[in-house]
Amino acid sequence: MSLSLSLTVNGIARTLDLADPRVTLLDLLRDRLHLTGTKKGCDRGQCGACTILLDGRRINSCLALAISHDGADILTIEGVAQGDQLHPVQAAFIAHDGLQCGYCTPGQIMSAIGLLREAQTGDDPERVREAMSGNLCRCGAYAGITAAVLDAQRSMADAGRAHAA
Amino acid sequence: MAGYSRPTDLAAALSLLAERRPVILAGGTDHFPARVAAGPAEDILDITALGGLRAIERRGDHLWVPCLATWADLGAANLPAGLEALTQAAAQIGGVQIQNTATLCGNLCNASPAADGIPPLLALDAEVELASLAGRRRMSLDAFLLGPRQTARRPEEMLLGLHIPLPVAPSRSVFAKLGARRYLVISIVMLALVAEFGADGMISRARVAVGACGPRARRLPALEAALAGARPDPALLRRAHLAPLLPIDDMRGTAAYRLDAVATLLRRALAGMVPA
Repeated sequence: MSLSLSLTVNGIARTLDLADPRVTLLDLLRDRLHLTGTKKGCDRGQCGACTILLDGRRINSCLALAISHDGADILTIEGVAQGDQLHPVQAAFIAHDGLQCGYCTPGQIMSAIGLLREAQTGDDPERVREAMSGNLCRCGAYAGITAAVLDAQRSMADAGRAHAA
Repeated sequence: MAGYSRPTDLAAALSLLAERRPVILAGGTDHFPARVAAGPAEDILDITALGGLRAIERRGDHLWVPCLATWADLGAANLPAGLEALTQAAAQIGGVQIQNTATLCGNLCNASPAADGIPPLLALDAEVELASLAGRRRMSLDAFLLGPRQTARRPEEMLLGLHIPLPVAPSRSVFAKLGARRYLVISIVMLALVAEFGADGMISRARVAVGACGPRARRLPALEAALAGARPDPALLRRAHLAPLLPIDDMRGTAAYRLDAVATLLRRALAGMVPA
């Protein structure tokens, strides 16, 4: 039994044949599409390193069967920069030292982009920490991560106002 | 190799269920962690493409939460006063990544003794609706939960959704959990308290459910009786009210610690409750 799957990944339409329906979205991205920016940390939904945006919402890609998401639109860390121009969240993580070893960082950044799209936290650091609680950082860069998310939120709002003006 | 199906219509799903007894997959957040080591091949019935089973809606005297409704859907639903415990639980179950995929009904079918979703639904007298080719049946959540990972769902049935009674009197409810850290952790204990208030500001009816203190979550009828007719006062709590709880010692805490934590969370919940 071979199953066919269509996905849009970082704006590019992909059609894939799956020999085994049990392949997770994470393994598909890493092993079939060679998009290894999405990390496999715990592979059981506890760490958030595999966070991607699925139809605009953040999920753990280790907890999803690829075949369940036929037709979905997926954004991974490889798709967030515009050429050489970093996404404001990426730039803010660098500016605020929101990382040390970097392993959790793609998941943190995808989660932060999802958080900013949800627009539920405002500028309250405690709400940001709560909304980022699905992403663990074993180096403990949380203070920088929270500052980076708040800063990215400000810079994106400023850019939005400048664009509108 | 195991079979996989993702039907778009309920009748097809129920036929498959009757013929092959597959594992039912919705959000998958409990399914995959239990199968990290490649398990035996099993048939999967993926119900995520079924139509009309996602939207939470008010239906007459109850809230209908169908089987594909996620915790994020519940958190975003504008619930009436008295159902706050559900909104609070929705924000504390896993991180947002989990809340965006995990379903309430999956949480009930998985029937973990430490499921955060169960105490609020138990305290709110939720009912489950099960569907099979033979028809549909409803039962109380209390009757549905048999023990750890055990429910009254028959292999040929699927949990179609939940009926949660809407408050009929001015009500308040609260969800409280204790974990080893604030977020993203399996609870040591968790509970929900629902109180209806009379015009005099006294509790006319109270319902309390506690989880992670036994094979399945339990109501505390003696405490509920003691609270009826009283103000929400932490001093009303007695050790004997916790008699239905049978906690164990495990890596997350000892039985004695759990009982102490439940008493503390209950006192805080009562102290913080403003009459509706």
